[in-house]
Amino acid sequence: MSSERSHLNRRRFLSNFAFASTAIATGVGSWVVRPDWANAAGPPIKVGIATDLTGPIGYAGNADANVAKMVVKEINDSGGLLGRPLELFIEDTASNESVAVGNVRKLIQRDKVDLVLGGITSSMRNAIKDVIVARGKTLYIYPQLYEGKECTPYLFCTGPTPAQQCDEFIPWLIKNGGKRFALPSANYVWPHTLNVYARKVIEANGGEVVFEEYYPLDQIDFSATVNRVISNKVDVVFNTVIPPGVGPFFKQLYEAGFLKNGGRLSCVYYDENTLNINQAAEIEGLASCLDYFKALTPEDPFSAKLHAAYEKQFPGTFLFAAGSAATGTYRGLKLWEAAVKEAGKIDRDGVAAALDHAKIAEGPGGPAEMVPGKRHCKMKMYTAVAKGGNYEIVARSAGLVDPKEC
Amino acid sequence: MDNLFVALFEILSFGAIVVLVVLGLGIIASMMGIFNFAQGEFVLLGAYVTYIVHSSGLPVWIGMAAAPFVVGALGFVLERSIVRRFYAAPIVAMLGTYALGLIIREIVRGLIGGLYLSVPEPLGGSVNIGTMHFSSWRLVIILITALVMIGSYLLLARTAFGLRIRASLENPALARASGISTNAIYGATFAFGAALAGLAGALIVPVFSLFADLGLRFLIQGFVAVMVGGVGSFAGPVAGAGVIGTLAAALPWIIPPVIADVLVFVLAIIFIKFRPQGLISGKGV
Repeated sequence: MSSERSHLNRRRFLSNFAFASTAIATGVGSWVVRPDWANAAGPPIKVGIATDLTGPIGYAGNADANVAKMVVKEINDSGGLLGRPLELFIEDTASNESVAVGNVRKLIQRDKVDLVLGGITSSMRNAIKDVIVARGKTLYIYPQLYEGKECTPYLFCTGPTPAQQCDEFIPWLIKNGGKRFALPSANYVWPHTLNVYARKVIEANGGEVVFEEYYPLDQIDFSATVNRVISNKVDVVFNTVIPPGVGPFFKQLYEAGFLKNGGRLSCVYYDENTLNINQAAEIEGLASCLDYFKALTPEDPFSAKLHAAYEKQFPGTFLFAAGSAATGTYRGLKLWEAAVKEAGKIDRDGVAAALDHAKIAEGPGGPAEMVPGKRHCKMKMYTAVAKGGNYEIVARSAGLVDPKEC
Repeated sequence: MDNLFVALFEILSFGAIVVLVVLGLGIIASMMGIFNFAQGEFVLLGAYVTYIVHSSGLPVWIGMAAAPFVVGALGFVLERSIVRRFYAAPIVAMLGTYALGLIIREIVRGLIGGLYLSVPEPLGGSVNIGTMHFSSWRLVIILITALVMIGSYLLLARTAFGLRIRASLENPALARASGISTNAIYGATFAFGAALAGLAGALIVPVFSLFADLGLRFLIQGFVAVMVGGVGSFAGPVAGAGVIGTLAAALPWIIPPVIADVLVFVLAIIFIKFRPQGLISGKGV
């Protein structure tokens, strides 16, 4: 029996070879979701999603892929686009830029997608944008909140920018926290660029930055920082330290009595996913400013419907949250849908021209519209405060907030 | 003055955490002669066991008590089934254990959905003296680290079992000729090292929260600590861990943290260049 199994004959070799070459050709991290209707006016329109399904930020990438599946299914169920169905191609960028470039190339060269949406970190966007936009001649939508300054043609951003996250938030922090700010930060591009903007807004509103300091991305002991915060009598910690450091950092601040003495924590990427990093008491009163919180569902029927639909289709750990780019993914796909409808075709220049001023009347957290010529998105912004392990909305923008980019 | 006490306490507590994590690694490296690259994942498993017990509704301390036994048992099974095949080739052992670690890490990442999860400490809050706040749980960690260190030392230096371990390390052939089953000893030593890692994971998870790369963070520091301390003895890695942990916690108080992070390694490399045998050379306890 065992000798027979190990014996390599021609037929077995061929079948193994065929299997292996199929696996290599399609790639282990590739998924194709085909539409199941036959009455189409033309071949399917191909939507490519390149996101981090595995690796440290896999929780965010999976949520984005889920949102894409949900939106594509919804569009297909209501008759597709231009009478054609959508076909969804999902590639894993694996939280690793070199893997990502190869997989995104597959989307462009093998699958010939009409749109790529994805990338979560700025380093990922920078790694794959050239493959998509310049060499790939394809439209690219980047859905995550980020540091701004991305003005590449054919690259549209649907997540919040520093202006959207700071302009109304920082005056609120000064009023509800105090004037003395500390900016502890992880040492990479997003905190550096965001802090430049945040500092400007803090100083323009009569606040002061007591210290701004950068840490290695994997630092997990912050005793020196906590001591600096306490001994400088800081009122507001405007945090851009990321996981894994942020959990121990907030815990050490709590243990040192920062919250008890009336200090205010704030962190603009904090959403429902990050609430569980600490125990509720350790981040009581933490303020965040994003385009969507689940706490909006009681007041906004559309958000409530959307959120319920997502949770029904994808129950489990991958939450529909703004910090994971899930809301940006929804907004991006719906704006693109509106643009394709207006353009009446799917060539890159036509869709880009329509996407430049695309609008959606409903979305997570409210309507959204592209600022013509800027390739960034106006949206409503909300300030929420953590109370007992949940968010409570404490302030909202009067209308759509301008991204002030490009 | 207050500031100085707070600084000393924080530095001591982080030093204790590093010692606790490195202890198991050092025992396996010194007593068996192989570097276990899966040690960080044993730490992670200890943390995960604690989380599982906590999320099933039982008190956290039960999880902490169970973690070393669960991880120790798993370590024993892995040693019997996989690691023992690598003793003849220490380099291959590094790769093999690294692969094991990778598998464990990614499985845990899948199980916790790649999220960061908090686990409460059994003893929360802080001890306040005047305006100074000392985290109670960090005090407990310092205490337990000291107890575990003393316990491990007594086990290796004062018991018949410790004598057998040292005999198997120094001269395996003679040990076997004298009727000691080196096979069984290796299995037990590996399990003991794994159990210590499990305990470390259980104790530090309330401080750092549970995430898949928890062990990885300490692995590099652990190896530098073993190199600086010197392989071969029990005291070497412990001393090395004390030095590295203290440096890593102390330097950010005086210089920018980004530079401090690199400086720890630069200092370690310079030290090893001039004293390749480490702080404490020679075999034994």
